[in-house]
Amino acid sequence: MTALQDTTVHAPPRTLSERIVRIIGRSPVHIILGFIALVWLVPSIGLLITSFRPSADMRATGWWTVITNPRFTLENYERVISAEDMGSAFINSVFITVPSTILPLIIASMAAFALAWIKFPFRDTIFLVIVALLMVPVQIGFIPLVVAFRESGTGLLTTYGAVWLTHTAFALPFGIFLLRNFFITLPRDLIEAARIDGASNVAIFRTIVVPLSVPAIAAYGIFQFLWVWNDLLMALIYAQSGSIQPMTVEVTRLLGTYATEWSLLAAAAFLIMIVPLVVFMSLQRYFVQGLLAGSVK
Amino acid sequence: MRKFRLAAPLMTAVLVLAACGNGDGDGDGGDADLPEGDGSILVTSLWGGAEEAAFQEVLAAFEEASDITVEYEANRTDYQSVIRTRIQGGNPFDVAIIPGVGFFRQLATEGSLISLSELGIELGDIEGQFAPGLLDYGNVDDTQYAFMAKLNGKAAIFYDPQRFADLGVAPAETWDDLVTLTDDLKGAGATPWAVGAGDGWTLTDWFEIMYIKEHGVEAYDTLFSADGDWTDATVSATIERMASLLTEDNIDGGVEGALATLFVDAVAKVFSTSPSAELYYGGSFVGGIATGVDVNPALAGQEGTAIDWFPFPTIDGAGAGLVTFGGDQIAAMVADTDTAEFLQYMLSEEAGEVWAAAGTVIVPNTNVDPSTYPNVIMQQDAELINAAEAIRFDGSDLLPGGDLGAVLQSALRGDDMGSVLEEFQTTVSTAWEAQ
Amino acid sequence: MTTASPPADAPAATSGTSRPGRGIGWAALLFLGPAALFLLAFLVYPTIYTLFLSFNRGRAGGFSEWVGLDNWITLFTEDPNFLRLGFPPSGALWNNVLWIIFYVSLTVLLGLIVAVMATRVRYEAAIKAIIFLPMAIAATSIAIIWRFVYSPDPETGLLNALLGTVGAGPTAVLGSPDTVNWALIAVGIWGSVGFATVILSAAIKGISSEVLEAARVDGATETQIFWRIIVPMVSLPISVVTVTLVVNVIKLFDLIYVMTAGGPGASSRVIAFSMYQEAFPQGRFGYGSAIAIVMLLLLIPVMIFNIRRFRAEAVQQ
Repeated sequence: MTALQDTTVHAPPRTLSERIVRIIGRSPVHIILGFIALVWLVPSIGLLITSFRPSADMRATGWWTVITNPRFTLENYERVISAEDMGSAFINSVFITVPSTILPLIIASMAAFALAWIKFPFRDTIFLVIVALLMVPVQIGFIPLVVAFRESGTGLLTTYGAVWLTHTAFALPFGIFLLRNFFITLPRDLIEAARIDGASNVAIFRTIVVPLSVPAIAAYGIFQFLWVWNDLLMALIYAQSGSIQPMTVEVTRLLGTYATEWSLLAAAAFLIMIVPLVVFMSLQRYFVQGLLAGSVK
Repeated sequence: MRKFRLAAPLMTAVLVLAACGNGDGDGDGGDADLPEGDGSILVTSLWGGAEEAAFQEVLAAFEEASDITVEYEANRTDYQSVIRTRIQGGNPFDVAIIPGVGFFRQLATEGSLISLSELGIELGDIEGQFAPGLLDYGNVDDTQYAFMAKLNGKAAIFYDPQRFADLGVAPAETWDDLVTLTDDLKGAGATPWAVGAGDGWTLTDWFEIMYIKEHGVEAYDTLFSADGDWTDATVSATIERMASLLTEDNIDGGVEGALATLFVDAVAKVFSTSPSAELYYGGSFVGGIATGVDVNPALAGQEGTAIDWFPFPTIDGAGAGLVTFGGDQIAAMVADTDTAEFLQYMLSEEAGEVWAAAGTVIVPNTNVDPSTYPNVIMQQDAELINAAEAIRFDGSDLLPGGDLGAVLQSALRGDDMGSVLEEFQTTVSTAWEAQ
Repeated sequence: MTTASPPADAPAATSGTSRPGRGIGWAALLFLGPAALFLLAFLVYPTIYTLFLSFNRGRAGGFSEWVGLDNWITLFTEDPNFLRLGFPPSGALWNNVLWIIFYVSLTVLLGLIVAVMATRVRYEAAIKAIIFLPMAIAATSIAIIWRFVYSPDPETGLLNALLGTVGAGPTAVLGSPDTVNWALIAVGIWGSVGFATVILSAAIKGISSEVLEAARVDGATETQIFWRIIVPMVSLPISVVTVTLVVNVIKLFDLIYVMTAGGPGASSRVIAFSMYQEAFPQGRFGYGSAIAIVMLLLLIPVMIFNIRRFRAEAVQQ
């Protein structure tokens, strides 16, 4: 590793005076980092606490008063889940997100494999086009695609179908880019040897490329999962029935006609956050690796 | 796109009508031309909270009276986008309750709404139960597409009669009286006004009621139409008058404080258990808010004693019978027997009474007796509206674009209104042209 | 197995280097086909459709009436919500410029500083995790969290409560055109510093320790080391982060939508929001399409940058 890391671990202070000197020398850093940690944690904690406070309390005092006056309740969560339909919206979020993650994973890795390991004319040009398509914003699709779905007469807009398809499509450029860049780093000899042995592309894909690429595929999967779970706009446009709307859409219902019901909103916001936070915390490693793979070479 | 679905029922209607030779608005005759509904309808509006609860009672009554199930979908934010994307996607709502007249007109001209006569509801039959002019808002190019579902007068200055008695002041009837009242309150050590300027729309209410009283109905109608000129002297005159009353000393928290205060909090400043102001101007729905869970539930039942309102005063002696109001219109987007039945029900006295009894809105049906309303706050409003010389829709809801609230916030802040109004005029006229 | 040439009838073998041009069609088609289909149908076709719609009135999303360049001319010269040249300029496009200048530079700077400082402490991983957390949260949730903080009521909003402790009055940060964009940019930075930190932290760790030691021995201060050595050596990751953030700015929507809906008035709009607003609530689909194309045009330089970078890397292989 580098010296930057080393200095923190090796040579711990021996004497008390050494310790004090070290702390004083470092304290600006600690203070600044401590302040930063606060700024990054406190807003979310404030909302979390609010979600557990009775709404009468919320209206009367600020959430910081719970330090001296703790009083908690689960009623906000109860109300939000049953009366406000967050429960079914949660299920909708799952139903929308899982296929929208798996489908692009499969399609993108297949395409990435072709672009990395199958020679065909215009291969590089096609890849460049796909890299260019990375830039197409989702807004471009709204008008034409909604009209197209309608004209198709398939009624996909009132089912999960439209959302699955559009999420998959817009996820492909990034996935293909990420995975292809990873695939080409796989050992050439391994693949060549398999080819010489007569293995078909499908076999190579299945038995060599995919198993070796689990980190990259996992990273992409996590990205995509978070992206779809947290998405609001696409669901607004392509999920055209109250019964299929995910939590992100449902939570906007809680903005009252005249006043904002922060207690309910807080509980709903956290229900939306739980799954991504769990996914993120447990699979952090892959997520970060994926980011790095896509950015730093 | 709308047109394809209408072709069949329209043709059938024409043939049947030709055969019967009978085109009047008798319910049965109309229904025979409509396709059979499937027994359930999807209704949308942007109501939530107490308003939704009241409406749900009406829906429940309807479900009992007919055999049709009603599904209600609230779309609080971005109401217009949702309606549009559904139409585009071929999944329109069956019935929509629309707050903005501009948006309503767009939908009508686009062909997304079903005319009332197509549903068997003829204008001539329903005119009698609406205050004069009210149905005009639902009329586009001589075809009636919608009618007002509910409304709230916006001419109420709320106060606490008990505190007034203690402070030795009384409600005002003219503008000058109002200014005097404000000064008297200050003199008595109280803060006169609470303003929720953080919510720009509260300021638009102020502007509209003052404008119509100061300059009359015709000027009002012109201003909120495609011919309106926001750089006109009448506009700045009203704005100046507003700013002369809503000054630093007259508002609780001063101008900055008002701009940081949202609607419900401003109401709370007058009616909470620890009030800090004496007067709140707004729509009759303020009563429900003040006695509701957000402000002071203890006031419920004390309407008339601890909470009451007096009508916005005349300006320069004029405008006594003029009222502005906010409301929502109801229209059908799908033509079938179910939606027709639902709209018929919404026109009925029964629906009106159920809704009125819930106490959050005024029902436009003049056949509904004001005593049906559960408290004086609403009763007075119903009486005011029924007796009005002319009532006009909330102007900012008539505009197809632009944010009047933001303009008025600037005015309160003391910004130079010349350029602000010019820009606003550009935005608004562009929006009118795009209609 | 043996060194004999691959059997002639095994189609897969020909997709190797030995025989380009024979039978590759099938494999490529099989693997690339589904993706190609999706991309053509959902990305390419809509782009072309939207491009053409921008020259049209676009009533109800269809090609109702050709208007030529009208939409474009109005967009750039007659729509103060989109662009008003003046002093100071305003409008959605200008807001994006503000975001690009301030959000991007401050996020990168802060990310760099945190990355460097974090390497000095034992709890480095924890700090990075804390700062990175917002990346996992929906923009909707972030908007709710910060709307709560910015709430004008000092009994609800943390910001105003803190201001209250030093005697400053409650301000509606999101309610005033003068402060709203800065308030939003601050939230944007809050959400993105983690991204910058993680990437730059990895890059910094790649700097050889000898160089740094040598500089320290020569008597360079930490600040000098930071600006003269660290920053130049991670300039490529910095540029990658910068470009990603710029793309974020151009596509920025959720945050604006949930926090202010472009308000007050239109003062906090950004172009992605404008596109949505003009097309859907306002029903001006042709006009909204023009805005969507503007977004695309703004992203073309980024496209070119990506392609160039990719090409450069390809050459290295």
